[in-house]
Amino acid sequence: MMPLLAWAWVFTLPGLLLTGLGVPTGQRRAGYASLLGPPVLLVVALIALAQGGSYSVTFDGWLPFLPDGAYRALADPLSALLLVILGAVATVVYVYSLGYMADDPGKRRFFVYLDLFVAAMGLLVLAGNLAVLLIGWTGVGISSFLLISFWRDRPGTLGAGLQALAANAVGDGALLLAASIVPTGCGALVNLGTSQCTAGFGGAEFLALLLFVAAAAKSAQGPLYFWLPNAMAGPTPISALIHAATMVAAGVYLLVRTHALLTLAPQVSLWIAAIGVATAIGASVASLFQANFKKGIAYSTVAQLGYMFAGVGVGVPFAGLFHLFTHASFKALLFLAAGVVIHGAGGREGLADLRGLGRFFAFSRWGFLIGSLALIGTPLITAGGFSKDAIVDAAINSSTPIVGWLLLAAVILTGGYIGRLFAIVYMAPAVDPHTVHHDPGAERPMNWSLVPLMVGSLVLGWVGILWLPSVLPEAIVGPVATVPILNITGALAFVLGAIGFLGVAWYVLRPQAALARGETSYRPDGWVRAIAVGGYAVSDAFSRVQSGLVARYAFGSLIGVAVVLLVRVVAFR
Amino acid sequence: MSSEVLVLGTSAVLFAIGGAGALMHRHPVALLMAIEVMLNAANLLIVLGARVHGGADAEAAALVVLVLSAAEAVIGLALALALFRRRAIPDVDDAVELRG
Repeated sequence: MMPLLAWAWVFTLPGLLLTGLGVPTGQRRAGYASLLGPPVLLVVALIALAQGGSYSVTFDGWLPFLPDGAYRALADPLSALLLVILGAVATVVYVYSLGYMADDPGKRRFFVYLDLFVAAMGLLVLAGNLAVLLIGWTGVGISSFLLISFWRDRPGTLGAGLQALAANAVGDGALLLAASIVPTGCGALVNLGTSQCTAGFGGAEFLALLLFVAAAAKSAQGPLYFWLPNAMAGPTPISALIHAATMVAAGVYLLVRTHALLTLAPQVSLWIAAIGVATAIGASVASLFQANFKKGIAYSTVAQLGYMFAGVGVGVPFAGLFHLFTHASFKALLFLAAGVVIHGAGGREGLADLRGLGRFFAFSRWGFLIGSLALIGTPLITAGGFSKDAIVDAAINSSTPIVGWLLLAAVILTGGYIGRLFAIVYMAPAVDPHTVHHDPGAERPMNWSLVPLMVGSLVLGWVGILWLPSVLPEAIVGPVATVPILNITGALAFVLGAIGFLGVAWYVLRPQAALARGETSYRPDGWVRAIAVGGYAVSDAFSRVQSGLVARYAFGSLIGVAVVLLVRVVAFR
Repeated sequence: MSSEVLVLGTSAVLFAIGGAGALMHRHPVALLMAIEVMLNAANLLIVLGARVHGGADAEAAALVVLVLSAAEAVIGLALALALFRRRAIPDVDDAVELRG
């Protein structure tokens, strides 16, 4: 199956053409032609993964201006695993979209964009060298932009899409630079770690740094995190497929794929781990203060990607890949469960609007609960427990154990933010239940598509520890061939997560009684007010410099020149 | 008074005139002309340097400055044109949208 898998990125193109050309006709059946692509991709990738082996396709001289301009596609167990994830989540999301977009006039366009995304993502995963990778890398960025800005008439969506495009352009630029500096004939991803390939400008460290920048832009790590929360302006199925499960994980995939290169660049690896930890903690804190349901989950995605980066950074790519695998399932579940409520509430996403409305959607409520349990790493019964534990363990046993301890401590934040979202939407008493409207025709495909993800969130951990190490190449699985099923750090992580979950849930639900008694809500303390007033004063003082008057700026420059000349004359007389 | 000092003084006076004009004029085109005067003052100094020290380097630099000033005029005039289109009275002190 590997030879067929090497061309798997074309599987959704027939659907793209048919749907785009208006086959079959009618609003209800729009997108039906696209439904076949992802399941075929899933089946082919699964069989290929089970069979093993590898297969590469090469056409020389295809992009002559790059050092390695051949078209190279490589189908091996790693790309097969990523394609399994892509095919599975895409299948679920396609079915879900039939319900979510049922009444949307742009349904047909939506499925065309989805097909385009799956094709580009397939090309990214199957890329055998940097040139082809760059095409897939840019392709997913463009389809991400198209889908974020899908409702382009709504305020803010176009800006959010352009923001994603801009952040991704940083990564594209880094990747293009990487593709340009490798020595001639040396763009193949599997060879990047060899000494002859790192002989270009800057050596292995610089090449690894470029790949890290590209990965950080795609996976919203470090300072480049900002686009992902805003990308939630797009439809919810997109948030699940592109901005939780597949595209944002491409950065982790790239680092796993080029892991041989990272071992040659310990400084960069350290940076990857550090940025991963910082992002995990920062995004977890940010998620606690979101007023928008989907943005709360989006910050969770950023944080979990930080865990994966940390896993790769401490030198255990399998841990990062494993978490990518399970995270795809439970984070897609969280998003799609949230989408059911958002759809039922007429597209409103604010937590104040959705307060308590989740009670009316049983599937969504169970789905979100299972997803939350997997996210905080409930051991044995959910997938997240295994993979998060693998990362924490790997980090604690690495040369920088502080990374592991920080990641372990951050689990309490994970529990806190997901507990907050769950308590507000699914447990609090509904403020205005009459705004919920049930549409059985649209809800049925959405509810059913949650079921495979629920199952995945529960059992994929066992799949990951029992099956994956035997099918993935030795170089990726590395020294940690067996992940402990349950150990003290895993139990500790779960206890922390549960404390966070229950504590914040209790805190969220508690003020209800106080409000009912007619007590006033939060009032800022004196010192909080002082910080705000002081901040405004400083800002006013400095903003006065920015008068907007050209003449005043020019006068400033002239005075500056005069001072420099004066100093020059006085000092060097 | 040697001719070098004369040219030096001319350049300084020209620069002062241009600078004062750039600070005081409110019409965009007049502002651009004042900036041209400042550029020419600087160019005069470069040519003077070329004359004193000999060699073609400084003269080449003077040519570069000429080209740059032409490019600057193009951008400046485009800005002036944009200002003309947006406002009834083109006044650079009126365009303070970037005020902090």
